[in-house]
This record gives sequence, structure tokens and C-alpha cells, in this order.
Amino acid sequence: MNYTFQFGVVWRDFPYLLDGALLTFQIGLLAFWGGALIGLVLAAFKTFGPRPVRWLVDAYVVFLTNTPALIQIYFLYYGLAEFRIRWSGEFCLLLGLTLNAGAYLTMIMRAGFLSVRRTEMEAGEVMGMSRLQQVRYVVAPHIAKTIYPALANFFIVILVMGTSVGAIIGVNELTGQAITRASFNYRWLEYFTVVAGMYVVLTFIASIGLALFGRWAFRVKARVF
Amino acid sequence: MPHLEVSDVRARYGSLEVLSGVSFTVDRGEVVALVGPSGSGKSTVLRLLVGLLPPSGGTVRVAGEPVDYRRAAMVRAVRDRMAIVFQQYNLFQNMDVLKNVTLAPVRIKGRDRREVEDLARRLLDRVGLGDKLHAYPDELSGGQQQRVAIARALAMQPEILLLDEVTSALDPELVNEVLEVIRDLAREGMTMILVSHEMAFVREIADRVVMMDKGSVVEEGPPAEILDNPRTARARDFFGKILRH
Repeated sequence: MNYTFQFGVVWRDFPYLLDGALLTFQIGLLAFWGGALIGLVLAAFKTFGPRPVRWLVDAYVVFLTNTPALIQIYFLYYGLAEFRIRWSGEFCLLLGLTLNAGAYLTMIMRAGFLSVRRTEMEAGEVMGMSRLQQVRYVVAPHIAKTIYPALANFFIVILVMGTSVGAIIGVNELTGQAITRASFNYRWLEYFTVVAGMYVVLTFIASIGLALFGRWAFRVKARVF
Repeated sequence: MPHLEVSDVRARYGSLEVLSGVSFTVDRGEVVALVGPSGSGKSTVLRLLVGLLPPSGGTVRVAGEPVDYRRAAMVRAVRDRMAIVFQQYNLFQNMDVLKNVTLAPVRIKGRDRREVEDLARRLLDRVGLGDKLHAYPDELSGGQQQRVAIARALAMQPEILLLDEVTSALDPELVNEVLEVIRDLAREGMTMILVSHEMAFVREIADRVVMMDKGSVVEEGPPAEILDNPRTARARDFFGKILRH
């Protein structure tokens, strides 16, 4: 193999790649929070709701966890366009990832709901706590702590794997930006080497942040790698 | 007048009657032990008293006042006067020891935080855990957790302390440290109802023993009498099986 690496062009384009990384981070974060909100509501429906509602939640979860995120985003971007609904690539990516994350996070949150210890609630009850106080002091912190590691892992999954799908519908997140820039000079190998490194750094920063937050907020002893 | 009077109390889980007319009394400063085979309803009595299981009949009187367990305000008032310690400790896993003890008095009863913390430190000192204020439950042994649970109950400043098989979940070598704490409380005149299988301890500490079977009281009396010379065949049979001597 007599390929000569030339990273010079990549460094010149580095500001573009940084922009891409920033967009990746923003979309990842928004989709995660949106998904967490959906997950919380649907997990509550699934746990406490009447049977038809539980079925609907099941249908949502099964459908969205068993089809590729890429297909879901294609539906939003190309499928809806047939009905004259034309949203930007960024919005379709964000919406698709949010709905997709919502399904996975429903399952994670549901596990948290099921892990509540009745006996601790009873201990609170006999000390005079109302139901709401039991939720606030006993149930909610416990759920948060129980599911935190799974949430943190899932955030990384969305951040890296989820957002990069955007490249295919022309969103200039980190992967998309690399493809765009490399198509000017065909230095694919160099761009993707640097971009891979940037993903690792992005993940590393997010992991440290999440681990520190978890340790501070919930006493979760998480390892960064 | 007895401080607590339980008369003809009944309770059911669905169609199953678990208490079929239980009566006994507890005077101020008295230690009453509820004993009997598993499933006889001892723990159910304690759960009923603190309002975790509504009675389906009979009366409970505290200081002469009948308690209506259907009224939330009354249940709250009863929970002010009685505190319960569970077999499985049931500490709040997401809080350290000090927070476990102070949470309810501060947040629920609205007492002054500094005062409650002082009290909590004294109580934790007393149960031998003065150096574990900031440990979390999962860092403690069963015996230590149970002593925290006792301190937590005492921080509520109850008139009556209910102890539901508090040593049953402990390894044998940890039982004594918990019994020592209870012994201490009895010496100071704490009113207690104690469900226990530790007959030697019951004999030593209880003023009166109430033996239950199948949801009702079989026999009651001072420990010496009831443990050594039970009058009923059921009690003779039960104590004959568990007292090895």
C-alpha cells in the first residue's frame, strides 16, 4: 500500500468539523431529553394505565425498537414529502431520533417503575408521609438511581450512532460534515480518521460528565470506560 | 386505664380472615411480647395498629380514645404516637444514616432541623452508630441497619414503639447488638410491643406475654407463667417445641 496520508486539508477544515460536532451534540442532547420525557409519560401509562392504553404503548415500543432508526427517519424526510409535508433534514433527524429514543427509554423507565420497593414506601407512610411525599423522597430518587446507568449508556448510543444517520439525509452533523468536506478533495481516510477521533473525544467528555453527575446526584459508582 | 387497648379486633386480606377477634392491653411503660407460630397474626396486629391494614371490626383505644382508622386525620394522629421497626429495616436506601433519621421529623413534622439533628446524633450514639452518620444503608451490616431503623423510629418520639421481629433477618452474631439496644430502652421505661421468636429475650424483657394462634389470642400472662406453665394445650405444644430445655 503506498497511500500517503495528508492531514493538512483536514486541519484546514477543522472548524467545519467542530461545527459538525457541536450539531451532533445538540441533536443528541435534545433527542435524549425529548425521548426521556416521552419515556417517562409512556412508562407511567404502561404501569398504571388501563389495558387499551397499555396496548398502545406496547405497539409504539415494539414498532419503534424493531425497525431501524434510519427507516424511521426516511419516513419523516422522504415519506411525508409525498404528502407535501417538507421538513428540514435537521428537524426530521431530531424528531426521528426523539421518537426512537422515546421507545427505548420507555422500556428503561418501566424497569425503574417496577423496581420500587413497597416496603420503603410503607416505612415512609408510617412516619406520616403522604403518597406524594413518598414519591418525592423515596420513589423518585430510587428510580433515578436505578435507571441512571442505563440512561447514561443510551445517551452515548444516541449521540454517536443515532445522530450519524443524519449524514444520509444531508444533515451536516459530524459525519455529514466530514462527507461534505471530503467530497472536495477525496481525502476520505484522513477525514474519517480525524472524525473517529472526534467521536471518541465527544463520547469521552460526555461519559465523564455523566459519571460525575451520577456520582454527585445519585451515588452511582460508574466507570467512565 | 391502659395506654393502648385492643379489643376484639378483626382484619382480613380479601376473603381470608387473618385476625379473628384479638384483645389485649398495654400499660404505659410496659413491654408486651406477642409470640406464636408463623402466620398467627402477630405482625398483622402491629401493621394494623399503625394503619397499614384497616381493621374490619373491633376497637383500638389509645389513651382511652377510640381510633377510627377510616379517617386519615386519625391515622396520622396514631402514627404520631406509635412508631414501628420492621423485620427488614426498610431504611431509605438513597439517604445516609443521618438523613434517614431526620427526614420525617424535619420534613413531615416540621420540627427544627438543628434540634432534630442533635437528637438524631444522640440517638445514633446511643445505638452505637455515632461514627456512621454519613454512611449509606448498603454500607452497613444488617445489625447496624436495624439499629439505625430503631434510632429512626425513636426520632419520631413515639409513645409506643412497635418492634416487628426485628432480629429475624439478622445473622446470629448480630442479634445481640440489637437486643442490647432494646434492653436499654426497656430499662428506661419505653412502652413497647415486641413480636419476637427469641424466647430467652422475651422471658428477660417482657412484662407480659401474649400468645397468639390462628388470628386470635390463646393465652396471656407474665413470661414466667406463660412460658413455663402454659394453661392451654395449644400454648404447651408451641412452647414445648421451641424451648429446648
